[in-house]
Amino acid sequence: MKGMRITLSWIYLALIYLFILGPMFFVLAASFNTETSFPAAFEGVTLRWYARIWDHKEFLSSAWTSTLVALVSSALAVLAAFLAAYAISRGNKRENAWLSATLAAPLLVPQVVMSLGMLQLASVAGMGTGFWWLVAVHAVHNIPFALRLTMTGFARFDFALEDAATSLGAGRLTAWREVTIPVLQSSIVAGFTFCFIMSFVNLPVSLFLADTATTTLPVVMYSYIESRIDPMLAAVSAILFVLACAITLILDKIFRIRLVD
Amino acid sequence: MKMGFTSVLLLPSLLMIFVFLGLPLVVIAMQSLQDNVLLQFTPPGIDNYKYLLTRPYYFDVVVRTLRLSLLTTIFAIPLGYLAAMALPVLKGRLANMAIMALTFPILAGPLVVILGWMALLPDSGPLFGPLVRAGLISPPRILGSETAIVISQVQFVLPFAILTLYTALRQIPHNLYEAAASNGAGGLQSFLHVTLPLSLPGVLSTTIIVFSLAASSFIAPHYLGGAADLTLTTLITNFVLGTFNSPLAAASSILLLAMMLIAMFIFVKLFGRFIRP
Repeated sequence: MKGMRITLSWIYLALIYLFILGPMFFVLAASFNTETSFPAAFEGVTLRWYARIWDHKEFLSSAWTSTLVALVSSALAVLAAFLAAYAISRGNKRENAWLSATLAAPLLVPQVVMSLGMLQLASVAGMGTGFWWLVAVHAVHNIPFALRLTMTGFARFDFALEDAATSLGAGRLTAWREVTIPVLQSSIVAGFTFCFIMSFVNLPVSLFLADTATTTLPVVMYSYIESRIDPMLAAVSAILFVLACAITLILDKIFRIRLVD
Repeated sequence: MKMGFTSVLLLPSLLMIFVFLGLPLVVIAMQSLQDNVLLQFTPPGIDNYKYLLTRPYYFDVVVRTLRLSLLTTIFAIPLGYLAAMALPVLKGRLANMAIMALTFPILAGPLVVILGWMALLPDSGPLFGPLVRAGLISPPRILGSETAIVISQVQFVLPFAILTLYTALRQIPHNLYEAAASNGAGGLQSFLHVTLPLSLPGVLSTTIIVFSLAASSFIAPHYLGGAADLTLTTLITNFVLGTFNSPLAAASSILLLAMMLIAMFIFVKLFGRFIRP
């Protein structure tokens, strides 16, 4: 009876993971296919499609733009979230429904709506959108994720350590620099990494707010798919998938940092 | 003094949320009351809403968005719940790996996942192609239908559902199961009287997350649905990038937000009856 339950659990999990990860592994496999159409039956192995990405300079330059947007917006999100997480954990406040609803709001408002609002705000203010508009929406959208990851860190943090530092004469900033931030380092890195990737792959926000100078990688992929899908696009996607897996695994195995608990 | 200092630290997040989310929402609400190329009236007026809700074409978009989001939720919650219950059979490194793998599709981004479905779902694709060619099934025409949207949305929200439900199930004190067993409860009874009732708050928050992810999803209906399968998000995008009609885009956004709020309110009421304080 018990053994049967365990066997069924294994089979069920295998099916669920096949469903969740299958499509991406299929794209990964297709990116090595010599066949020029996508999807196609598997003919042979080639790296041609990866080489071809170099001929499409818009993919490379947009990847760099995405990196810049992701760097700045994640830094802002993590900084804001770290301060808020500190206030909530240290303040030991009773659960404040309005506060938690406000801090979770960016997660629940659709990104399409968020970016439409910023677009209309820009037109009301008579300004053009671009880099900083993208950064602002990415940062706000990522605050709940960053907050969650830093809160996990603070849940394990003993504030007595910080008090010990201040009672020994350290200023508040010194105590933060020498005690709080080093102890919470892994949550901060986890929060930053998660936000960075979420911003890097974000499409809806960038679609509305990017100007010609700040076209991000997902926007370039989007306009490419509008005309055709081919193995080169599968190669770009495969790189994104492999990077996501690699970053998660490296953080976990080498730095013992978890993106999920 | 101390209280004051810590509260100041909340300001950056709250300020960012108010300026970059709250203010834009106010602008949207105001824009939605403006006249436009399609509808001439003296602003402010609710003609845009009237137009969207009385035209069958646009009203269907609202209903379709609601239907697709509800279907996604109805499939994702039980599938995710069972997965969260099954996960503890994995031990050690494998368990760790399984939890991490759930973030892969989230981190790889929706475009990568959708590309996979665009390749897998065609009638000639690797899933149905062999069966169709062998004459075992007639072409299912899944790509370009609401079914395709629901399949990919369920796949997209499942990792979120499993992670939240797994956390909720882990928080149930283990001695409650022992108490149930020592009182002679079998597996099913223990599930009905311990696991299910105690996990309901987790199920509620998962339902809210999954529903709003599904209602917000834009890439799945855009690529996997047919031209006629517009949802509110793709409709908004069409108004913004296609016909440049800001006021109608704004009104559709408010309708989407209203639909999500009403749904969440109903979920909270519905579950509230069963959640013991």
